[in-house]
Amino acid sequence: MAAAAGPGPEELILLEKLLGLKKGNKYGAREERKIPVLQTNNGPSLTGLTTIATHLVKQAKKEQLLGSTAEEKAIVQQWLEYRVTQIAGHSNKEDIRIILKDLNLYLEDKVYLARNNFTLADILMYYGLHHIIAELTVQEKEKYLNVSRWFNHIQHYPGIRQHLSNIVFMKNRLYTNAH
Amino acid sequence: MRLYLSEGSAQGLKVLAAAGASGARVRLERVPPDGRVVPFLTHPRVPALHLDSGTFLFSPNAICQYFFLLAGKEPNDLTNQWLEWEATELQPAVSTALYCHLVQGKKGGEVLEAIRKTLTYIDQSLTSKATPYLAGEAESVADIVLWATLFPVLRDEFCLPDELEALRSWFQTMNLSEPCRSAAASVLTPKGAQEFKAYLQKQPGPSLHWEKPAAN
Repeated sequence: MAAAAGPGPEELILLEKLLGLKKGNKYGAREERKIPVLQTNNGPSLTGLTTIATHLVKQAKKEQLLGSTAEEKAIVQQWLEYRVTQIAGHSNKEDIRIILKDLNLYLEDKVYLARNNFTLADILMYYGLHHIIAELTVQEKEKYLNVSRWFNHIQHYPGIRQHLSNIVFMKNRLYTNAH
Repeated sequence: MRLYLSEGSAQGLKVLAAAGASGARVRLERVPPDGRVVPFLTHPRVPALHLDSGTFLFSPNAICQYFFLLAGKEPNDLTNQWLEWEATELQPAVSTALYCHLVQGKKGGEVLEAIRKTLTYIDQSLTSKATPYLAGEAESVADIVLWATLFPVLRDEFCLPDELEALRSWFQTMNLSEPCRSAAASVLTPKGAQEFKAYLQKQPGPSLHWEKPAAN
């Protein structure tokens, strides 16, 4: 099976590398759900995947990844919340089917989650969905064509994939139907 | 922009109070709790905000955050942390507690016990920071979001235990604030927590993940 980005600290370490941050942040994990905790040097600790991820983006001075307008910022926040509440590791088959169906419909007319701009929402959704997409059959990848197109686009974004497996999509199918 | 709401929903209370607190101008549309508003979602989600650009926001916390952003109030580490905690920990705990009480008829003390851990967490945070609000000296989006989620459980028969003094004082302050009062008056009727029952009965039963016995 493909190596998956586990929930919690592992995913934040991938994000740090992608953002070009120096190593040095210390992470812990709370409870059996492995909620990540970041011990900052100059303040209290921070808890929660999306809270810490947002903090790291600011630390790397890449605020554009959080959205540039109020609307875009709210869209990014919405999908980050979706990531931690709906795709939280224990999703059963039916939950996964609905997540993929909804995302597929949502992404129908969009390049990224926040329409035309690549943001933190794409990054964390990619890490969160990797193990799910890796298990899809060829037929399922075709059924969720917009998700497949989006996922394939994101996995080729420089520096994002790291040790995660490259997921193969049928290219001609993905692009012949594209507008 | 249009804000779609249904009666008896704590999440509706949340977005309405946030609109009031931030001065956002919205057009209210009342829909049934199972009303389909957001075109790309399989399960109906209300409240939802339909922006003039065509964008739908279906997360109540993102809607609250959006209203505050329009008023020039940016999120920070602390408000983000509270919002994430509210979505992942407090909301599931409160909806299970309410479900046990209103739908299954469990008694107050037992129900309060189910959310005791989350209440203590808020109380300790307020006590250790010694600030009147969750994220500092001024009210923020975090106060509105947590207040609204707690309101259905704390407003009537369950009263807060004496030792949670900081939480009690913060909750009272919020209850008395104008945006919260008028949101409560608009979303709720004087029937007490019962109006949440009709809403909850239409929702799928909450997942009782923390009720499983702890692994050794």
